[in-house]
Amino acid sequence: MNKYKNDQPRLSEIKKENPFGVPANYFDDFPARLQARIDAEKEVVPPEKKNRFIQFIKPALGLAASFALVALLVYWPVKMYLTSEVVESAQQNNSYEEEFSSMVIENIDDTSFFALLEEPDNGIEFSEEDLLSYVSTNLSEYELYTETEK
Amino acid sequence: MESDDRVLIANLKREEKRDLAFNLLVTKYQERLYWHIRKIVVSHDDADDVLQNTFIKIWKNIDNFRQESSLYTWLYRIATNESLTFINSNKRKHFMPMNDTSEFLMNNLVSDPYFEGDKIQLKLQEAILSLPEKQRLVFNMKYFEEMKYEEISEVLDTSVGALKASFHHATKKIEAYLKNSDY
Repeated sequence: MNKYKNDQPRLSEIKKENPFGVPANYFDDFPARLQARIDAEKEVVPPEKKNRFIQFIKPALGLAASFALVALLVYWPVKMYLTSEVVESAQQNNSYEEEFSSMVIENIDDTSFFALLEEPDNGIEFSEEDLLSYVSTNLSEYELYTETEK
Repeated sequence: MESDDRVLIANLKREEKRDLAFNLLVTKYQERLYWHIRKIVVSHDDADDVLQNTFIKIWKNIDNFRQESSLYTWLYRIATNESLTFINSNKRKHFMPMNDTSEFLMNNLVSDPYFEGDKIQLKLQEAILSLPEKQRLVFNMKYFEEMKYEEISEVLDTSVGALKASFHHATKKIEAYLKNSDY
């Protein structure tokens, strides 16, 4: 208590006055500025005219929007993941094909290589049956025998 | 004053007299509320914002005023709450810790172009801003605004005994702060 009493003069030494100021005419202008803000707020919130149809379908629209959002959130990452997987496997296949064709090209002579280039490639693929029927119709049994004995 | 306020409240609740009564209310209380708010938020610009927010809240809620307390304490309570809400939302905006009000207010004090006090007054304000929130409010209301404990009790919803203790602790801390600083 004595300490408190000894300390008291320090606070009482300070003149009790308001150290803060305001801009000139602040309190004269304040009511008008406040009224302007109140008027602005009144304009911002007009009386609501509720469309009954919109009010009726509002919950359904909200639900549909939620589903769409969830679907989008699921679809997008899945699509991104799958796309990267497909590209990766395609790149792998391409590299196998490229490796195989370069190996074939390296092992054939120049004449065969140019002949191969000049061959028309229609992109038609033949099944084993097609090939067998082609061979049997265009070659005689003897020719077949001699070819297989080579 | 009480009877004047009763008439004012009655007129505020009547649609046709509301605008005029509200203007009277603003004119009557703007200065007192401003200085109360200014002591809490320190900067003039912030005090101006909070004073406008306070009166707009009063405008919107005048129908909810039940006259259980006086108009004056009801206005002070709204002004105090608006000031504290303003400080907290500003701290959030500036990513400041919620318990560190002093630093935020010290910055306001130093950067306020309308602080007109001398070096001693600045030290006193620094000492007040270093206090915990409740002690700061009680000290300002008692020391500067010279409010009665009963009135402060209604505004802050705290018992008179607790307020006396808060004021006592606040005074001791301010004395200690001033003693340890050179001015």
